[in-house]
Amino acid sequence: MFDLPSISFPVGILLIIFIAYMVFYVAYSFFNIYHLVRYGIYGFGLYLIVTVFTGGTILLVGASTLMLINFDWSAPINITDNIDNYDGDLFPGL
Amino acid sequence: MMRLDHLPNQREGERVELFLRRHWFAVLTIILAFILLTIIPLGIGFYFRDLVSSWLNHTLLGPITVILGSLYFLSIWLFAFLEFTDYYLDTWIVTNERIINIEQEGLFHRTASELDLAAVQDTTAEIRGIIQTLFTYGNVFVQTAGSKGRFHFKNINNPETVKEKVNLLVEQDKKRLSALGARKKGKVKSRDR
Repeated sequence: MFDLPSISFPVGILLIIFIAYMVFYVAYSFFNIYHLVRYGIYGFGLYLIVTVFTGGTILLVGASTLMLINFDWSAPINITDNIDNYDGDLFPGL
Repeated sequence: MMRLDHLPNQREGERVELFLRRHWFAVLTIILAFILLTIIPLGIGFYFRDLVSSWLNHTLLGPITVILGSLYFLSIWLFAFLEFTDYYLDTWIVTNERIINIEQEGLFHRTASELDLAAVQDTTAEIRGIIQTLFTYGNVFVQTAGSKGRFHFKNINNPETVKEKVNLLVEQDKKRLSALGARKKGKVKSRDR
């Protein structure tokens, strides 16, 4: 029929999505913590909530980073190759 | 940061009588929702572990799976925190002179209103359904004399007790104000003479 031009990009481009989400996450969390500190009632509970949330975030981001670090982000993804080599089995484990 | 010993526009001799938040059942709902939203995808992932591990070993599907998983878990963590903030910032403070109603609706909508106890005409306590009856929580409506409508203490602990306490405080405040008014009138009369 016709030949598709060879288009490839590094897997690392996917990290843009993750980084963009993290920027949104940090901004939203900041607003939330600001609201709590600005309008919350002074006391131990307030500090506990902020600490628990920050701790949970650090754990989640840490775990994500540890998993993401194992991938080869420089590996190229060739769209043409992926279309040509697609065997129709997206769920090989099933 | 607000301090209970230093309320906004605090009057002389004003003291906090009741500090109310929604019942802990509201927090339990947030925690349960968070646990469910965490466990269900983890359970599905564990059930299809062969499929997931084959995805993780793939050059493209691996990073996509991990990124999507991270975004999902971070989102439910943030969502739980937002819901908790909403719970934490919704407060009702009853002092010996007024009621202060602070409500947080979402992140950028906050309503703070107050009314003098002397303006209260009627209070209603409401416990609805099995769960509210079992855990003794419900609503209290405070009806004012003006056209302002009514204050609504949502899902608070022991609404009957709160209603009784508010009624008592209203009576005491009305007595205090009438005594204050009588004293002022007395002063005016003595000056006229």
